[in-house]
Formats: sequence, structure tokens, C-alpha cells
Amino acid sequence: MSVVGSVVGFAIQTLAVSSIYILVAIGLSITLGTLKFVNFAHAAMYLAGVYIGLGIALELQFTGDIARSIGLGNVGLDLGFLAALAIIPIITFGLGLLMERFVARPFYDRPDTDQILVTFGILLIVQELIRAFVGGRSLTFSRPEWAAGAISLGPLGTYSSWRLAIIGITAVLVLAVYLYIEYTDVGLAVRAGTEDAEMVNLLGIRATRPFLVIFGIGSGLAGAAGVVGGPVFSVVPEIGVGVLVPAFLVVVVGGVGSIVGSVVGGLLIGAVEVGLQMNAPTWSSVGIYALAAVVLLVRPAGLMGVVEVDE
Amino acid sequence: MSEQTETATPAESTDTAGLLDRWDALRERESFSILGAIAFVIVFPMIFTNLPAYNGYMSLVELIYIWAIFAIGFDLLLGYTGLLSFGHAVFWGGSAYAAGLFSANIYGEPLLMVLVATVTAIVLALIIGVLSLRRGGIYFAILTLAFGQMMYFLALGPLGEITGGEDGFTGVTIEPLLGSIGLGREFAGILGTLLHDISYVLFAGFFVLAVAAAVRIVRSPYGAIFQAIAENEQRVRFLGLNVWRYKLVAFVLSGAFAGVAGGLHTIHAQYVAVGSLYWITSGDIVIITVLGGVGSIFGPVAGAMAFLYVENIVSGEIAFWLLVLGALFVTVVWLFPAGLWGIVDGIRSTVRGQLSGDDS
Repeated sequence: MSVVGSVVGFAIQTLAVSSIYILVAIGLSITLGTLKFVNFAHAAMYLAGVYIGLGIALELQFTGDIARSIGLGNVGLDLGFLAALAIIPIITFGLGLLMERFVARPFYDRPDTDQILVTFGILLIVQELIRAFVGGRSLTFSRPEWAAGAISLGPLGTYSSWRLAIIGITAVLVLAVYLYIEYTDVGLAVRAGTEDAEMVNLLGIRATRPFLVIFGIGSGLAGAAGVVGGPVFSVVPEIGVGVLVPAFLVVVVGGVGSIVGSVVGGLLIGAVEVGLQMNAPTWSSVGIYALAAVVLLVRPAGLMGVVEVDE
Repeated sequence: MSEQTETATPAESTDTAGLLDRWDALRERESFSILGAIAFVIVFPMIFTNLPAYNGYMSLVELIYIWAIFAIGFDLLLGYTGLLSFGHAVFWGGSAYAAGLFSANIYGEPLLMVLVATVTAIVLALIIGVLSLRRGGIYFAILTLAFGQMMYFLALGPLGEITGGEDGFTGVTIEPLLGSIGLGREFAGILGTLLHDISYVLFAGFFVLAVAAAVRIVRSPYGAIFQAIAENEQRVRFLGLNVWRYKLVAFVLSGAFAGVAGGLHTIHAQYVAVGSLYWITSGDIVIITVLGGVGSIFGPVAGAMAFLYVENIVSGEIAFWLLVLGALFVTVVWLFPAGLWGIVDGIRSTVRGQLSGDDS
């Protein structure tokens, strides 16, 4: 393969891996930036995306002990991948609104540690519910048929059309959210809240609704990440945390509160992971932490981050 | 009202008040907690091994002491300093591997193994502490979680040849205590009833030591600053104290407790599972400490008892104990932040208030 070809190959694989991390990280980053809220339960949205998405796209087999004891068999709408991709963000958007209203909001005035603990507890409950109903074993989330093959990009070589599809879907979603935050009033309030949440409150802007909406959007993206990531990562109850940790690293590396930061952080993390996978596979899951450690030592606020007022 | 009663029966009232005051003074003493811990390790197995569904083996009692040491150390960080770490599996697992490797390659004397484990945990805590405290507040939980997972993947992949990778480390060889006293040697007579065997004395002894050390730390001026940081970090900074350094020390101390516990666990299990480094272990110690009650010495102990009882005994009866545990955890965080011990403590102080006749 030519040099250009292998560079493009590396870039495409990096973009595909980064896509999923970026989709999960945006929601985390915004809630961290505006609400100073660490949301472990964000991983539950990814899980909802994977499992409900599997049920919508194909079929979900209920093999958990509880499901078996009440005689729940297989449930599948078999509507296909695109239907899942369209429906899941709406469902997880709604779940996100519920979570903001009934879980996050009562805890805004409580200590940080309580917020983290309660969202961790909710993630545990969701994970164990999945184990109880669907079962703990790994499921297959097969790629849609239209993306199973490869596409030839002329002289640049031939690439998996699935990877290109992931990149395309992510680009559209991220761009839409970026435009929404840059060019609407809700987005303005959110950006102001990231800069200085206290000042926004003092100016008499009721930021409750923008925060609610942005919480929902973040959850919607995480749900979409679940649909996209289902066929890429394994489908097990623990995958929520498995994706959450790299997404946290994306936020740490990129800096909090901006979509650009999440994209930059996500691309870096993805590049390190893919680069190591190609050259030193045993180190591939360790390298991203080393990257985060280096960024922390050199630029504690993250590459795109501004030093926060309250620290 | 109470003043009138006091004047009516001065002798009797001062008598009970005097007794209660003396009881309070006694409770406040450091030696009270330590004696309490000693009494606990003698009485606890007798009660615990007779609980329903328990088949009477001592191994679980020893395991509870080990986890309790881990939890006491974790609470020094969470309850007293207000820092939530999601990466404590690093110190537990890292020290367990260190103890295991030491026993396999150099010498398997239990006390030396615990020493090696503790030193390893301290070094790890220094490195991870410096990195994780780079960002304040909420980032601490994220960063400790991340670096915890890093150690897990290190042990699984690049260090797999040393750690045994996914299979865990199986080469642990335990020598007799101090080179001559076998861990399985049983005591005779009354000593046998109270202290069982050498291994029980080893684990229970470390538990009592951990309680004593924790009480000393919490009661010391240095420990008072930990608690001040939890209450109002800014004010401590205004006093001219280096908050960052105190946080790092709290983290390292907490890691040292986890190191002792991790080393003891290797002696107890004679095996190190790679899962000891996984985030679920970090989550377990969070759950144990919070369920038991943060900000006290005996809360985490109560948490360890409840958790291990449920995990090992009840889990056979109720298949979804983890689900139930998760729900219980959220309920405690939401409604009873002081945990199980907080409820016990609330009852105690109500009774105390009733006895002394004031409502305060």
C-alpha cells in the first residue's frame, strides 16, 4: 500500500474510533462546563442506545434470569439500523430530560461527591437491570447490510464502508449540535454558563431551561453513540463504563465546555489508540492514559480549555 | 421545666448526669475506640458465624477485617477530607500483586509481604495523587478512575508476563509467620475459643492496628485540617495552609491503608486476581464506605460487614443482590447521607438526649 494510502487508512480508522468517544464526550463536557456536574449515569445513555437500539434495529434476546422467570422471550422490531439511529436519540433525549429533572436537579445544591455517588449508583442500577433482563453475556449487534462491504476511494485505496458511515453520521450530528449552540439563544445561555455560571445567575437569566435542553442533547448524542458503537465495541453490561472512561479522558485532554475541545480531544485519543493498535497492540489501551497524564502535567486545563474561575 | 425537676431532686439528677458525663468522657477517649475494636474481634466471630444461612467458616470473618481496613482508609479520604476516589483498586490490587510477587521471588513471610505491599501502595499513591490533584474538585473522581483503569490494562497487557494477565497471579507462596509460626496453628483452651488460630490473630491484629492508626490520625491536629478541608477548602487556604499538600498526604495515607489490606488479601487468598485492579473493585469500596457511613471509623467497618455478608451469603438466596444493592446505595446517598452507622448514631444520641433530659 502506498504511503498516502496508509496515511488515509490510519486517518479513517482514527476518525471512526474517535467518533464514538466524541459523541459520548460532548454531553459530559457540557454538563461539566455549565453545571459542574459529573455525570457517571451518562454511560447509562450509551447503554440505552446499545440495547434499545439493538431491539429496534434487529432483535433483543432476553436471557437474563428475571426475564426467564417471567417468560420474556425475544423482542425485536427488526426495523433496521437507520430506524434505530433515528429513534434512539429521541428516546435518550427524553431520558436525559427526565434525568436532569429528577436526578441531577435535586443534587445541584448538594456536595460534588454526592452528585457523583448518585449518578454512579444509577449507572450500577441500569447495568444490573440489563444483566437481570437481557443477561450478562456478549450479544452480537451486526452491521447493517448496506455497510457490510468496502468502498473504493480511487487511488487512495479501499475502505470499510461501515467506518465511513460512522464518520459521516458523527460529523452530521456534531455539526448540528455545534451550530445549535453557536447560533441560538439556548446555545448563547449555555456558552455564557460555561464561561461563568454564577454571573449568568446574577444577571437574572433563568438558565434552567437551557440546561435542561442541553442535558437532553448530550444524552441524545450518547444514545446515538450507542447505536453507532454497538457493532464496533462489545455488547455487554460493563461496556457503559468501558466507553465512559475514554470519554472522560477526551474531556480532560480537550478541555471542558466546548464542542471543539471534545472533537480535538477525541481525535487525539483516537489517534493514539489506533496508532498503538497498529504498532504495539499490547499497549493500545494504556497509551491513552499516558496521553492524558502528559496533558495534565503540561496543560492542566486541557488543550482547548480555559482556566476555570472557581478552582 | 428541666430546671425545676433538677431543683426538686438534686441528688438523683446530678447522679445520672454525672454518670452520663463520665460515659461521654470515656467515649471520647482514644483508648475507648481501640478497646472497642479489641472487644469486637473477640465477640464478632461468635455472633457472625451464627447468623442465618452462614455455615460457620472463619475465612469470611477474616476477609471482613481485610476489607474493613481498606474501607477505613478510604473513609479517611472520602469522609474526612471530602475527596472521592474512583481508583482505589490501584492500591488494593497493586499492593496485592507486589506482595504476591515478593512472596514468589524473594520471601513469603507475611509481615514482610504486608510491608512490601504498603510501600508499593504509598509509591503508587504519590504518583497518581500528584497527577489526579492537578485538577481540583470534581476532576479528582474522573482522574482517579482513569488512572485506575490504566493500571488494570497495564497488568492485563504489557505486564502480563509478570502478573499472569487474565489468569491472575498464581505463584503466591506463604511462609510461616516470622519464619517459624505456621499460620494454621490453632490455640488451645480459652485462647482457642477467643482467638482461634494464628492467621485469625494476624488479620484481626492488623484490623485493630488500623482502627488505632485511623483514630490517631483523625484526632491529630493534622487530621483536623483534613476535616477542615472537607468543610471549607477556601477558608483553609485563607489560613495560609497548603491545601494541595494536605490532600496529597490524605490520599497517600488512604493508599497506605489500602496497601496493608491488599497485602493481607494476598496472604488470605494466596492468589491475586486481575479483577482486583478493575473499576468494579474501586466501586465496591465506594459502596461499602458510603453504605456504612462516611466520616466515622466504625461506619466503614459496618459497611464491610454488611457488604461481604450479602455478597457471600445472601447472593446465593437472592440472585439480583447487585441490583438490590445498587438501589439501596442510591437510597442511602439520596436520603441518608450518614449511612447505616449514621442511623445507629442518631438512635444513640436520641437515647442519650432522653437520658440526660435535654433535647439538644
